[in-house]
Amino acid sequence: MLQLESVNSFYGGSHILHDINLEIEKGKIFAVLGRNGVGKSTLLKTIMGLTSSMTGKLLLNEDDLSTKTTFSRARAGIGYVPQGREIIPDFSVKENILMGRFADINGKVEIPELVPELFPYLMDNLNRAGGLLSGGQQQQLAIARALATNPDILLLDEPTEGIQPNIVEQIEECIITLNQKLNLTIILVEQNIRFAKRASHGFVFLDNGRVVLTGKGAELTDELANKHLTI
Amino acid sequence: MLDTVFIGLSLGSVLLLVALGLSIVYGSMGVINMAHGELVMIGAYTAVLSQIYLDINLFAAIPLAFVICAGLGLLIEKLVIRRLYNRLFDTLLATWGVAILLQQAIRLEFGLSFFGIHVDGLGPGLQSVTVPKVLSEPIMLGDFVLQPYRTFIILISIVLAAFTWFLMYRTRIGQQVRAIMRNKEMAAACGIDVKKINALTFAYGSGLAGVAGVMMSGFKTVMPDMGSAMVVDGFLVVVVGGVGSLVGSIVASGVLGQLTSFVAFFSNDIIARAVVFAVVICIIVWRPRGLFNYKGR
Repeated sequence: MLQLESVNSFYGGSHILHDINLEIEKGKIFAVLGRNGVGKSTLLKTIMGLTSSMTGKLLLNEDDLSTKTTFSRARAGIGYVPQGREIIPDFSVKENILMGRFADINGKVEIPELVPELFPYLMDNLNRAGGLLSGGQQQQLAIARALATNPDILLLDEPTEGIQPNIVEQIEECIITLNQKLNLTIILVEQNIRFAKRASHGFVFLDNGRVVLTGKGAELTDELANKHLTI
Repeated sequence: MLDTVFIGLSLGSVLLLVALGLSIVYGSMGVINMAHGELVMIGAYTAVLSQIYLDINLFAAIPLAFVICAGLGLLIEKLVIRRLYNRLFDTLLATWGVAILLQQAIRLEFGLSFFGIHVDGLGPGLQSVTVPKVLSEPIMLGDFVLQPYRTFIILISIVLAAFTWFLMYRTRIGQQVRAIMRNKEMAAACGIDVKKINALTFAYGSGLAGVAGVMMSGFKTVMPDMGSAMVVDGFLVVVVGGVGSLVGSIVASGVLGQLTSFVAFFSNDIIARAVVFAVVICIIVWRPRGLFNYKGR
């Protein structure tokens, strides 16, 4: 379980997130929704320890990670797929995936079991430079890299953004499979309401860096989405 | 003509040793280490002092200088650079300060005798290293005179460049360094301890500078400000080759070494230096990120 208690987050002097309280249960997909610039990506970065500073408490399975560095959080079981994927372009596909193994210091340096099943294209192109893959393939690679960290919880920042429609479906299926097969907790920042409705067990709407509404997946309706997402 | 090529190769080899450390440190940490030249100087003084006080020859001084300079580098990283990450100009000024500090400390202790001034307690004249006999006697190969010491410098540079390549491209620690070079935040999000790897990288780069200093001590006067010029030359190699590119550093040091050697052969050292700077300016205008840089979507 991941708990955020009175979390505030800052970029330098800018106060971005205000008093965030959330509880995300083990094995659930939790959608973070809201208009552009309300702090969704910052929420994931705060959990990952990538903002300048934070106050409040961050607990993963009751371990207090609030003052831990980014690499310690990764080793504690937080996997991260950032917006824009941020794979290393001149690393091979294999090197990109195995980067994630640094988080599992006692584990073997090998590609995670589920990757061949979920991403056969990657397995057929292990020696290809990551920078030469298409956007969708790079997204698969970013997810495979996060899986290699052996996470308890996976942070996905707009995984279907800027990807051609047929690949979007594959990515969506992959996220649901990961949740079901590995009982993986997933925090999903998503603009695609259709997918959020289909996949999530719970949701939160953010506005101006504050929580304005939380609920269960079944309660996420088009009316709510229209109310909180239209500009 | 073959002599000129050979001199160019040995010049390029020393440049490579200096530039390798600079390139790795700047590439992974974004730190322009102005004290790198002083680490070269400390390496040279290690060779001089170990010969006098420990009675060891130049071969044994190589690992000793590597260890001493790596240790010093680790100390500089922990005391100064770690506190100034992501502040390019602050690190530039701070490392310049460290450079002056090291230079003056050495000048106080060992430097005065260079000017013929001998003060009790400030050390004797320590400006030359005796090259082992096996490296000092020229070998005639037909019309070509093979200088064993220059050959030794070239071999050491090849071995260290190959070792660095192996370290960077065939080991997990090298993968961590390269990951930090490309994307520090993502490297940390993958569990890489960026601070620890940066400290080790800085120490390794400093160690290489120390080895370059030992190499230089065999054919140059060892003096407190000998490193200042080297750091400029090292940066020329890094800029031309492309930051963080091992192949780039090798090619650039080879090109600049040969250019210096050939222009000096046909004119003199001063014109050679001017030509090198002119060529470097042309290259960075043509390719601002250097001859070898990575590409991707």
